[in-house]
Amino acid sequence: MFHWLEKHPFFFAVGVFVTIAFAGLIEILPNFAQQSRPVIGTAPYSTLELAGRHVYIKNSCNACHSQLVRPFKSETDRYGHYSLSGEYAYDRPFLWGSKRTGPDLMRVGNYRTTDWHENHMKDPASVVPGSIMPAYRWMFANSADIETAFAEQLTIAQFFSVPYNQPVPMRDGSSAVVKMGGSVSDAKALALEEAKAVAADMKDQDVKDAVARGEIPEIVALIAYLNSLK
Amino acid sequence: MENRPLEYDYSVAKMFMFTTIILGIVGMLIGVILAFQLAFPGVNLILGESLAEYTNFSRLRPLHTDAVIFGFTLSGIFATWYYVGQRVLKVSMAESKFLMALGKIHFWLYLVVVAVVVVSLLAGVTSSKEYAEFEWPIDIAVVVVWVTFGMSIFGLIGIRREKSLYISIWYYIATFLGIAMLYLFNNMAIPTMLGTSAAGESGIGAWYHSVSMYAGTNDALVQWWYGHNAVAFGFTVPIVAMIYYFLPKESGQAIYSYKLSLLSFWGLMFVYLWAGGHHLLYSTVPDWMQTMGSIFSIILILPSWGSAINMLLTMKGEWQQVAASPLIKFMVLGSTFYMFSTLEGPIQAIKSVNAIAHFTDWIVGHVHDGVLGWVGFMIMAALYHMAPRVFKREIYSKSLMAAQFWIQTLGVVLYFTSMWIAGITQGMMWRAHDEFGNLAYSFIDTVTVLHPYYTIRGVGGLLYLVGFLMFAYNIYKTMSARPVEERELQNSSPMGA
Amino acid sequence: MVDIAQLQAYGYFTLTILLVIALYGYIYHLYSTKKDADGVDYESYSDMALKDDLGDTPVLPRSDDKEK
Repeated sequence: MFHWLEKHPFFFAVGVFVTIAFAGLIEILPNFAQQSRPVIGTAPYSTLELAGRHVYIKNSCNACHSQLVRPFKSETDRYGHYSLSGEYAYDRPFLWGSKRTGPDLMRVGNYRTTDWHENHMKDPASVVPGSIMPAYRWMFANSADIETAFAEQLTIAQFFSVPYNQPVPMRDGSSAVVKMGGSVSDAKALALEEAKAVAADMKDQDVKDAVARGEIPEIVALIAYLNSLK
Repeated sequence: MENRPLEYDYSVAKMFMFTTIILGIVGMLIGVILAFQLAFPGVNLILGESLAEYTNFSRLRPLHTDAVIFGFTLSGIFATWYYVGQRVLKVSMAESKFLMALGKIHFWLYLVVVAVVVVSLLAGVTSSKEYAEFEWPIDIAVVVVWVTFGMSIFGLIGIRREKSLYISIWYYIATFLGIAMLYLFNNMAIPTMLGTSAAGESGIGAWYHSVSMYAGTNDALVQWWYGHNAVAFGFTVPIVAMIYYFLPKESGQAIYSYKLSLLSFWGLMFVYLWAGGHHLLYSTVPDWMQTMGSIFSIILILPSWGSAINMLLTMKGEWQQVAASPLIKFMVLGSTFYMFSTLEGPIQAIKSVNAIAHFTDWIVGHVHDGVLGWVGFMIMAALYHMAPRVFKREIYSKSLMAAQFWIQTLGVVLYFTSMWIAGITQGMMWRAHDEFGNLAYSFIDTVTVLHPYYTIRGVGGLLYLVGFLMFAYNIYKTMSARPVEERELQNSSPMGA
Repeated sequence: MVDIAQLQAYGYFTLTILLVIALYGYIYHLYSTKKDADGVDYESYSDMALKDDLGDTPVLPRSDDKEK
C-alpha cells in the first residue's frame, strides 16, 4: 500500500497478516457453538463403530465416498433425507469427502446389510457388476485397533463432554445409552460383544473363527460402523 | 576469499531443485497409476495380492496429492526462493554464515519430514483431512520446517541492500504467513494418549493418534477454509511470485505495470480467504457463508486476472520471443492457464453450476488444469531459467525442451477436456429423472459411462509424466553441457541445440 | 426494532461502500501521483528484477540508519 509497507518488511508482514486473517475472523468464528449441537436421534459412536471409523479413515474411503446428502430431489431419492448439521455433532473429523467416485454413504446403514458389505468388500464387482472399486481383502485378516478407539472415546468424553454412559434422546421419545468401558479390558469385552453380533451375520469362516477366539478383524469393525450410518 | 568477487550462492537452491524433480516424478507417477486404476481396476493389484493394501487407490491417493503439493510444488517454492530472494534483495547468502547454515538445516529437515510422511501415508496413518492428512507428531515437524523457512526469508530481508521489496518477495512473505496461519488452525487436535480411563489407565492405543478439535460442520468449515486457501497460498501466491521474477528476467522486459501488481497483490490478499465456502455449497454450513463463498469467488477473478494480464502484457511488442524460446512458451501458456482456471473456478462456485459440478470429475479437471498447466509449467520454467545460472552451463537441448512443451500441452488438454465431459455427464446423470419422477440411472450406470474418459485422462497424465521425465533428463544433462560466460546469462537463457 | 440481522445488513452495506471508495481511491492515487513518497517512479521498481546482479546499483539503496 502506497509503497511504504513495501519498504518496511515487518509492517508489511503485519499488514498482510491482518488482511488475510480478516476473512477467517468473520466467517469461521461465529456460529461455532450453535452448530455442534446434536439433533435428536444422534448418538455417539460405540467402541467398535469408532474402530470401524478408523478403518474407514485409514483406507481413505472418504477419497471416493461422500457423507453429505444435498437437499435436491435427485439426492434424497437416491440416498435418503438430506443431511442436517446436528447429525455430525460427534464426527471428529468430518467425513463429507469431496468426490463421489462411488455413491454417498451418509445413510448406507438404512439400505445395505452386513452380508452385502461382506461380499462387496471381498469382491466389489461380484455384487455390483461394472464396479471400479478395488477389493479390500486384507481387512478380513488385519485386526482392528480397539485400544486406540477406546482412547479416542476417553479423550472426547473428557475434552468435549461427549455423552458416553448417559441417556441420549432418540427420535421415538425413548433414550439410549452408549456404553464406554471403564478399563481397556472392559472396552475390549464390550467391543467383542458387538463384534459377535456382526460376525453372526457373516459367512467368512476365518472371520467367525477369529471373533470366536476373541479377535476382531478390521472388516467386522468397518461393517459395524457402516451399519451405524443411518 | 577477499580476492574473489562476491557471488550469489545457490547451494541451497540447488538442493531444492533436486527434490523438486525427484518428488515431481514420484507424485506424477502415482497420479498416473491412480488414473489407470480408475479406468482399469485391475491396476490396483500391480504389485500382487500380498501388497494390495499399499498399491490400492485409496491408500495412494493422499500420497499423490501430498507428493505434488508438499513435495514437488513446495520444493519448487523453496528452490526459487533461495534463488530469487538473493537476487532481488541484492545480497548473497555467502555473506551470512547463519543464513547459509539455516538454509541447509531447512533442506535436511524438510527431507526427513518428507520421508516420514511417505511411510506414514502408506501405512494408513492419516487424519483424513485433505492436504492435512498428517498426524500431530508430523505436524509439529512441519511447523519447525516452516519456521526455518520464515527465518530464512526474514533473515535475508534483514541484510538486504535494496530498500524496497520486489513484487515476488511480497508473494513469498504472503505464502509463508498464509500457510502458517491456515496449517496451525486446521490441524488443531488432541492426542488420544491424553485420555484416561476410569481404571486410571492412560497412554492407551496408538501414540500418534489424535482427534480433531472441531466436530462435524465446524470441522468441515475449518478444513475447507484451509483446503481452499492451501491452494491459494501453495498453488497461486508463490507461483505468481515466480512469474513476476522469471518472466521479466528471461524476456528482458520490465513488468508491464508495477502499479497494477500493487493493486492485484492487495486485492488477492483481501479476497482469497473469503472464498473457501464455495467447497461447501448446499451442505449444512450456514447459508450466508455459502453465499459469501460464491460471491467472493466471482470477485476473485479481478485480482487473479490483474496478475495474469500484467504477465501477458509484459510480452507486449515482444511476441516473437514466444515463438523463439520454449522457455517463454512455458511461462506464457502457464499464465494463460492461470487465467483459464481462475475463470473456471468462479464459474464452478456459482451455486447452480456447483449443484451439478460438485462431487464430480469436473472439479478434478479444474484442479489439474491449474496444477499441470500453471503450477507445473511455471516451476519447470523457473528451473530451466535457474539451471544455466546455477550450473554455469547452457541448457542441454532446446529442441528437447520444445518437444516436451508440446507433449505436455497435449497431455493437459486431454486431461481437462476428458474430465469436463466426465464431470458434466455424471452430474447430469445423477439428477436425471424419467417421466414418472423416478431416478433414471442407478449409480453404477454413471460410473461405467465414464470409462472412456478415465482412459483418455490416464493417457493425458502419462503424456505429462513423459514430458516431466524429459525435463528431468534435460536438467541432468545440463550439468555437463557447454560452460557459459557470465554475459550470456543477462536475460534469455543460453540453450544448446 | 433493530435486530442483529438488520445491524449485520447495515454493517455489510457500509463496509462494501467503504471498500469500493478505498479501492478506487487507491487506484486514483497510484495513477495520478506516479511517484511514491521517496520520489521514485513506481514503474522504475521493475528494475529490481532486471538489474539484479550483485554489482548493479539498487533502485533505492537501503540507508544504514534507523529502520530494521
